[in-house]
This record gives sequence, C-alpha cells and structure tokens, in this order.
Amino acid sequence: MTHPYREGSTFSGLLQSSTVDTKQISSVSIPPFLFEAILYAPIDDTNSTAKIGNGNIFFTLYKKEPALWDSLTLANADKEKLQYLRENAVLKAQEKAKEETEAKKITKQEHKKYALEATMKLEEAERKRIEALKEKERQKVAKELELWKNQQKDSDKYKSIQKKEELHQEIEPLEERKNEKMNKTRIPNEGSSKTRLKSTRGHGSCSIFSQNLKEEQLPAPRVAATIKVNFTPRVFPTALRESRVAEEEEWLHKQAEARRIINSDLSELEDLKEEEKNPDWLKDKGNKMFAMGDYLGAVNAYNLAVRLNNKLPLLYLNRAACHLKLRNLHKAIEDSSKALELLTPPVPDNENARVKAHVRRGTAFCQLELYTEGLQDYEAALKIDPRNKILEKDAEKIRHLIQGTMQSS
Amino acid sequence: MSAVLGAERPQVVSHVQQALSYTVFDCKWVPRSARLLCLGSAARGTGVLQLYELHGARLELLREIEKPKPIKCGTFGATSLQQRYLATGDFDGNLNIWNLEAPEIPVYSVKGHKEIINSIDGVGGLGIGEGAPEIVTGSRDGTVKVWDPRQNDTPVASMEPVQGESKRDCWTVAFGNAYNQEERVVCAGYDNGDIKLFDLKTMSLQWETNIKNGVCSVEFDRKDINMNKLVATSLEGKFHVFDMRTQHPTKGFASVSEKAQKSTIWQVRHLPQNRDIFMTSGGSGSLHLWKYEYPAQRSKKDSEGSEMGVAGSLSLLQNVTLSTQPISSLDWSPDKKGLCVCGSFDQTVRVLIVTKLNKI
Repeated sequence: MTHPYREGSTFSGLLQSSTVDTKQISSVSIPPFLFEAILYAPIDDTNSTAKIGNGNIFFTLYKKEPALWDSLTLANADKEKLQYLRENAVLKAQEKAKEETEAKKITKQEHKKYALEATMKLEEAERKRIEALKEKERQKVAKELELWKNQQKDSDKYKSIQKKEELHQEIEPLEERKNEKMNKTRIPNEGSSKTRLKSTRGHGSCSIFSQNLKEEQLPAPRVAATIKVNFTPRVFPTALRESRVAEEEEWLHKQAEARRIINSDLSELEDLKEEEKNPDWLKDKGNKMFAMGDYLGAVNAYNLAVRLNNKLPLLYLNRAACHLKLRNLHKAIEDSSKALELLTPPVPDNENARVKAHVRRGTAFCQLELYTEGLQDYEAALKIDPRNKILEKDAEKIRHLIQGTMQSS
Repeated sequence: MSAVLGAERPQVVSHVQQALSYTVFDCKWVPRSARLLCLGSAARGTGVLQLYELHGARLELLREIEKPKPIKCGTFGATSLQQRYLATGDFDGNLNIWNLEAPEIPVYSVKGHKEIINSIDGVGGLGIGEGAPEIVTGSRDGTVKVWDPRQNDTPVASMEPVQGESKRDCWTVAFGNAYNQEERVVCAGYDNGDIKLFDLKTMSLQWETNIKNGVCSVEFDRKDINMNKLVATSLEGKFHVFDMRTQHPTKGFASVSEKAQKSTIWQVRHLPQNRDIFMTSGGSGSLHLWKYEYPAQRSKKDSEGSEMGVAGSLSLLQNVTLSTQPISSLDWSPDKKGLCVCGSFDQTVRVLIVTKLNKI
C-alpha cells in the first residue's frame, strides 16, 4: 500500500512520526496523516519493521503464526473492537517502552559495576606494586646493614687482637728488664715498678700509653669563669607560646587595671587608717580572720576591700568561702560568679582560682539542693584540673544523689 | 609511610621496633659499633640504661643498668674513641660519666645543678674537633655549665642569671665553632624563647635573640668547624635556621623559619655525613627530613656598609608518621649513613633507615 506524505518531509519529520506495529494493529502517523490497518492476525512486533522513505512506507511484517490469511486486514471490524484494539496497542506500546528503558537501566548499572570493579582491580595492582617495591627496598637496606655490622665486628675484633699483641710485646721486654734489674741491684719492689714505668714512658709508641701522651697534648682545663645572663622578661612561669600571647596580655592588662582602680567613697574613708585603705592589706586581714574562724569579721574586711577596689577577683573568691561557712548560700553563689567573671580570659595563671570558684559555687548549689547546677560546676572544675581526686569523688557523690532523687520522685 | 616511590626522594624505612618497659628520654648510638643506648625512667622512679645491639631484624638486649635517679639525657661527645664513656644528666641535677664496661661506679660525678638537667652535649672527643674535651649541661634551674672531666666539682664555665633576676628553664644546649684549640661556643635555648650564644674564648655573651616560642632543641650543623648553621626548634611547630657565618652588629644572624608540624618540634639532628640535611621530630609522632639550600650570595652589605648574612631556603625531602606520641629523641649513626634511632613517649624505640641520601 502506498501512502503519499508531504513532500519535503525531512528526517526529523520522520522521527517525529510514530510507527506502531503492535500485535494486531499497524499504524503510522506522520502529522497530519495517519495510517492505520487492523491486521487479520497478530504479528511478531519485535521483528517487524516499517521503513519510511522516498514517498513510500514499506512494512515488513512477520506473522506470529504461520498461516494463510484470508485478507490483510480484518474486514468487519466494528467500532468497539477497533477501539479496544487501539487502546491495547497503545498500552502494549507503552509497556514495551517501559521494559526497554528498564532493560537499558539494568545493563547500564551492570556496565557501571563492571567499570568500578575494573578500576578497583587496577588500583589494587598499583598498590601491590608499590608495596613490593617498598619491601624490596627494605630488604636491600637490611642486607646492607648486616654487611656493615659484620664489618664493624670484624674490625673491632681485629683491633682488640692488635691491642693484645702490642700489650704482649710490651710486657716481654719489660719482664726481661725487670729480671735484669732484680739481678743487678737490690731495689725494693716499688722502685722496680717505678723504673719499669719510666722505661716504658721512654718508648712512648705503644697503643695503650699513647692515650696518656695525647692527654698531655691536650690544653689544660679552662680557667673557670662565670657569664651573667639576662632573660627576656616573662611574667608567667610557663613556657612562651605564640598562640597564647594574646590571652596572657589581656589577663595581665586586667590585673594591672584592677590594681589601679580605686573606688573613692570619700567621706567614710577619711576615718580609716592608711593601711586600711589598701585592698591587699585588707585581703590579708580577711584571710587571717577566716583562718581563725571569725567569718563575720573576714566578711567585713572583704566588704571594705571591695568598696575600695571592685576588680580584684580574689576578694570575691574569699568572701564566697566565708559566706559558705556562714551558710549564706545565695551570697556565696553571687560572689563565686562575680569572681569567675573577673577571672577571664582563662589562662594557666588563674587556673587555681577558677577551680576554687567553681567548687565553692558548686558546694553552695548542693547545699541548696540544686544538685544539677552543683554538678555542672564540679564538672567545670574537673575540666580545668582533671587530676584532682577529691573533685572526682565529690562529683560522683553528687551524681549518685541526683540519681537517688530522680528514682524516688 | 607516604610519598611516591619512583621519584628520587629519600625513603624512611622502619627497620626495627622495640617496645620498652620504661619511658625513654634519650637514645644514642655507641660510636664505631652497631650498638645503641636507651636512657630513661622506669615506673619505679629509678633510672634505666639499656644497651642494645642490632641483630638482623631485631634488637638484642646486651645490658641493663639501673641507677637511683631517672636519666634525662646522655652524650658520647666528650669521650675518646677507645674509652667511649657515656656522660649523662639525670633528674636530680647530677652529671655522671660512666664506663659502660664497669658501670657500678661513675668515672666522674658531680651534683652540677639544683634541678633536672634537661640537655647535655659534649665536644672534643671521638676524634672530632680539637681542644679539650668538655661537656655542657643546661638545667631547669636556669643555668648552663661547662665541665671538664679532668676538673672535679667545679665547672669551667657557668652562665647564670643575674642576681635577683627570676630564672627561666634552660631546655637545650649545644656546642659549636670548635675548629681549633681555643675557639668554642655554647648555644642555649630557654623556655621563654631566648636563644643565647656564649663565646667561651672571651667568656662573654656573643649574641642573643628571642624566637617567640619556647626553644626545644638547638644544634649546630657541625660542632668542629667554623660556625656555619644553627637550627633552633620550638613549640607550636616552628623552627629557625640561622646562618652563622655573618654576624651583623645589630641584626645578628640571618635566619629562615618554617612552620612544619602543628605540634611541638622536639628535636633536630643533622646528618653527620651531610651537614645540609637534618631531621626534625614532632609532638605528633612524625619525622620530617629537610634540606637546606644556600643562597647565591651568603652575605651582602646593608645601607651602612656592614656585612649582613642572607638566609637560604628549605625544602622538605620526606615526612613520615611513626607514632601517636611525641618522638622525643633522635640520633643518627655516625658510622652508617642514613641509619638512625628514635625514641618516643609510647615507650618504643625504633631503628630507621633513610635511603637514597647519596643522590641528594
């Protein structure tokens, strides 16, 4: 059957057309034309082809079942059957397309896998090759070492043999001379040994004694002297690290400032003696009173010191300790917090102070039964000083307490 | 082990690894032999000296000596080739010289310092260099003292802090410039970053500088020549190479510095057979092999006409990571090129062979 189609249709036009040879329908659509033929019996659609060209379409259709057809197309095709067949055809076409894509995907994956395995094998081979080279290198080097070592041993042996021989050679003439001397004169033993030594000195070419000679050629020990040394100043006892310098500077700066600031509260201060205006003196006083058990007195001393200079962290730290003893727990917490604020930036220099602040605050929290906050502080303290056994034990105790209360509630 | 084989780069081959039952602080080759010495501190708090011999692929323990105090450092530098006495510094500040054949009683002993002797060096022995054999020790008490084994009890030179000055720990000492009988210098590195060069002939401070990080190790490339190069390693992964041939009146010595490893560089050791190659060992358990290249002109004149040194450049030949703990000690064998031993804080001593050093 010939079928005219638009003159000038290019190949792309052909690609846009769709040819469907499903089991029973053969259709070609080249817009705006459509050719459809419902065949008598099913055909093998995979092997059939449709060639479009030169103003003709050639269908090469293979019958599914070799049989003689009455006619090419079904003669009495009613509309319904047509519809049904058409839909079927379309569905089948879609399925086929799907299957094809699936098949393609699978083959692609397999190809990928294969490629991957191949590359892995290549890399393995490369690695093995490098390993083998390294091994060879190692063995070569080990052999050389053995050789060298044996050489060493041999030369050592040779040297020691030489030494023995020379020693032997030395002793023989000495023995002879000794005997001679003994025969000639009656010299006490020490005398003869002295002469023996003297005579050998005279020879001066033996290996054993050459050392002594060499020593005589060495310059005398130096005249003792001292050189005084000045060091580049450094406040901290720890080693200098560039990365810590900025922090350290900040801390020092703060400390310096703290000492300089003196809050002036003029009228009340006039009554004080000179030494009472010095925060450090007051701090010492406070410490002494704490040691003696006079906690209220210590708090007073620290209070005055803080009024004079509220930037010294140790004042707050020590006052916190007093408040703990006095069971002013909230005040203890406040003071420890203030101390920690002032102890920034954290440097190894203020480690001890920070540990104490955390511990005091932690204790206060625990005594208020705020165990989780207390544990936080103890853990912070442990972080700074991980080796402190007492801290560890206390932290454990608090943890048990927390677990206890959780269980009971 | 890293690096691409096939190139002509030296390879660091790990030959033997020996686990020890104590902390090893120093390891040294016994000159003219395949024997090595490990010095350290046992868990009991006593000092340990172990003598090993290289046998094929393992180390055979020849001798173990225990001493009352842990030993920090040792050197064969001031002894003759026949005697091969070992000088050690211990945690108590004692300097002892031992005859390893009869180690019960030291040949020389002095309580040299009030605190641990961190570093020790010897010069004038082993047939290298000229002049009297001397030992220098640097201690945490801030002093550096030079000893002559022929003079008991008092040092022949002492570098102390000025009266009233707070001391800094001396972490490392090294001899240099010992090219004739009179000349000698001692270089000392401190924990505050100071490096001081003392001239023993004139008994004065020749030069000082500060490298901004605590100085862990200093070494001249060769002790027995006119001072050529000085390498100083420090905390924070930096090291400096100073060209010691030209000293400028104000600027001192020219230097080039390199930041190699993120952690402390514990030791530097020059290859005895090639003074331009050295190895640095780091806190991250790695070893780096470097080569120094001289500049076209080693000195030039500055604007006022005084001579100024020109530093060269460094190239990394190889690096390898052997351990997770710092490698605190390193020593090249003076007899076999490329053979070295290193000890690290994971209580292991390793014998390594660096190959292809001839081709550099």
